[in-house]
Amino acid sequence: MIAVTEQKKEKAYRLLKSSALLQQIMFRYMMEGQIASEEGNLAWVTSGFPVEIPVAMNIGISYPEQYGAVVGSQRMGPELCGFAEGLGYSQELCSYARSSIGSVKHPDQSPLGGLPTPQALLACNNICGTVLRWYDTVSELTGAPVFLLDTPPLEGEQPEHHRDYVRKGLDKLVDFLEQVFGKPLADERMQEVALYSTEAVGLWTQCLEACKAKPSPLNCADRFLTMAPIVSLRGTDYVKDFYVSLLAEVKERISNGVGAIKEEKIRLLWDNIPPWFTIFRFFNGLAKRGVVFPADTYTHAWTGSIEGDNLFDSVVSIYSNVYLNKGLDAKIDKMCQLIQNYDLDGFIMFSVRSCKRYSLGQLVSKELVTERTGVPGVVIEGDMVDSRLFNEAQIQMRVDALLEMFA
Amino acid sequence: MVIRMSYSRVVEQSDQAIRELTEAGEQILGYIYPHFPLEIAMAHGLLPSLVRTSPSAGGGYESSLQTFACSLTRNIFSQRASGHLTTFSGIVFSGNTCDSLQNVGEVWRKRFPDDKTFRLTYPAAIPSESSVTFLAEELRKFSVAIDSEFKMPFSEELFKDAVALISEIRESLQMLYAARVLSPKLLEYSTLSSLITGFLTAPTTSVLDNVLEIRSSTMEDLEMQVDRDLVSELQNAFLRKDLMDIGKFDESISIRLLLVGGMIETNALSEFLKSVPNFSEDMIILDLLSYGFKTAFTPSISLVGDPFENSARAILGSLGEPTQEGLSDRVRFLKEILSKLSINGLIICEQSFCDPDEFEAPSLARAAEDLQVPSVRLPIDPELSDRVRLEGRIQTFLETLM
Ligand code: SF4
Ligand code: SF4
Repeated sequence: MIAVTEQKKEKAYRLLKSSALLQQIMFRYMMEGQIASEEGNLAWVTSGFPVEIPVAMNIGISYPEQYGAVVGSQRMGPELCGFAEGLGYSQELCSYARSSIGSVKHPDQSPLGGLPTPQALLACNNICGTVLRWYDTVSELTGAPVFLLDTPPLEGEQPEHHRDYVRKGLDKLVDFLEQVFGKPLADERMQEVALYSTEAVGLWTQCLEACKAKPSPLNCADRFLTMAPIVSLRGTDYVKDFYVSLLAEVKERISNGVGAIKEEKIRLLWDNIPPWFTIFRFFNGLAKRGVVFPADTYTHAWTGSIEGDNLFDSVVSIYSNVYLNKGLDAKIDKMCQLIQNYDLDGFIMFSVRSCKRYSLGQLVSKELVTERTGVPGVVIEGDMVDSRLFNEAQIQMRVDALLEMFA
Repeated sequence: MVIRMSYSRVVEQSDQAIRELTEAGEQILGYIYPHFPLEIAMAHGLLPSLVRTSPSAGGGYESSLQTFACSLTRNIFSQRASGHLTTFSGIVFSGNTCDSLQNVGEVWRKRFPDDKTFRLTYPAAIPSESSVTFLAEELRKFSVAIDSEFKMPFSEELFKDAVALISEIRESLQMLYAARVLSPKLLEYSTLSSLITGFLTAPTTSVLDNVLEIRSSTMEDLEMQVDRDLVSELQNAFLRKDLMDIGKFDESISIRLLLVGGMIETNALSEFLKSVPNFSEDMIILDLLSYGFKTAFTPSISLVGDPFENSARAILGSLGEPTQEGLSDRVRFLKEILSKLSINGLIICEQSFCDPDEFEAPSLARAAEDLQVPSVRLPIDPELSDRVRLEGRIQTFLETLM
């Protein structure tokens, strides 16, 4: 008898062992959100909101943007966005907002039955102006009040009057939360939460920086998935466990010379949110061609430690200085730094039709980044959730043209 | 007497005035966001002028901006890329108002590095003492930047003159707005919007003369019909953003329209509407547009105290924009207007690809629906590229109201 040995072909990309833990903690986050909502204790927050403050006041948290990513990955974008369009919201608007509005209107037809109902909506415009208008709409649909933390965009250093203004906004936030939820903010608890947040951000930053190694231990999709806890669970005690585990795995990969993809040939920078509905197909497809993304501008946005004698002052600095709240120069500098520090060969800029704040300016920054770093880049256009706005063939053609430059 | 004034003549006049002023050595400071501190620019000896869109701007933006930048910023960028906008000595971009303008300002600086550009950042939160302080400091910073760029220091005297001039123009425009509500036939909407265009293009004494002339003839005619106090009452109610004490208006005119929206040029809109069959300007009772009502109904600046703080207070005292917090207040005011002015049709104008307009529009439409007022949405761009379809939409809308 001839023995037939089935040899399993190694995939072009490697799965993270930490994914199992990730699922567990995200499940816990969801359950906690559900319970908080039932207890009348849930706030929805934007991804750049100083969440440490409501967390320190023991208020439950849910992140609609992250839910948008879930909608996108489950390829429900067109359907849910369509519900919002039915209510009159233009297809030109942010698809996180549209899908969220759609899911509030039709939770029964939404992944996970929609996000749990909020009792307050906390928006910080340090990422864009859309979040305020999106939350205003959700407020009209749910009756939950909106709080805007206004963090005007910066040009260079933050002037004193900007700091004072944002600082006063934080005081108003505490008053608002005390009024809505009837809970005070205790100093000790704030310190504890700040410490958890700082530890988690520190670990996350180490994971990101580990990708300077060759081969890179993480690819783009890995980082986009594993950033979920840093976005949604900053300030909780259990988030640290996940990043300790992720960092250990990353270090293990580095010491064994194992990369995120099987054969790393080209190292690229990714700019902007990913197309969630095709995230694996897109990045794994490129992995098969030896393309890895050791860095991206998006997942590097969660940095900074809340520390010092005056935690609120620290909160003002960190949350005013987020990536999207700075000028084009700061974005170009960041891209150039990442290209240099991570020794990258080129870059792909995803021009997301939904997101004007992130995307307008890319045509100019592409030219300037290439001028400064000498590496080529390409701009591809589409959307992160609404797959109707994603022309795969056209994108493929542009990416191919970029890759040909490395042949 | 029905007062007529051709829009193109006013625009021509104001363009001509700008050219003459430039030739005479006047420095023109362009701005885009409507709530601009005119008086502060004038206190530096500069003439503030709205950077107007052009219906024939064509392209030119494509290598710098994606197609999803709002149509207003694309139009202005295209004009600059095609070598126009040369009368401006500098341009002011607003910060923290919308994502398009925020980014386009930055792109502009990269593409046209020799242009003198300024950034004036506005608070987005509901006006409060902290937002007044913030804006006052921004205005102070802006004043320092102008001084250092043009070597033209802030003059208290010029500031006082500017406050007097702008207040008089605004108060007259407010009166005309109120008078038109009482009797829309007295003054064509296109004439009123031409006056506003003149004001936005060059707030000069000749614009004031124009406004005063039309004000006096309009008021004379009005006095034959209604009590003058009613005009003041309505004007003050608009300034207070509260119509609670105003009695309900009669419905002698069968179609009573309200125009709402953001940064849409009123004259371009009225020119377009006039071209729609069966449309009559008398149907427009009021607009709540940024370059219209909101420009006129900005409170006057007090001359007692700090000019920057007083300017900030005045700017933040005008009716909120879709770029700002305060949707529920805007909706409340809209409902009061719909019901008190017996409006029976709402035209919601949206600049194409304008996030603030496109987010606000459904809330406005729902507010109208609550009061059983039919509404129509008008996605519009400066080139009126969809003119035929828009005309059809308005025509159908009018038919439903007849
Ligand atoms: S507009 Fe952009 S930054 Fe804002 S919520 Fe949408 S995707 Fe996020
Ligand atoms: S039209 Fe809308 S998007 Fe464009 S600059 Fe004005 S507010 Fe911004």
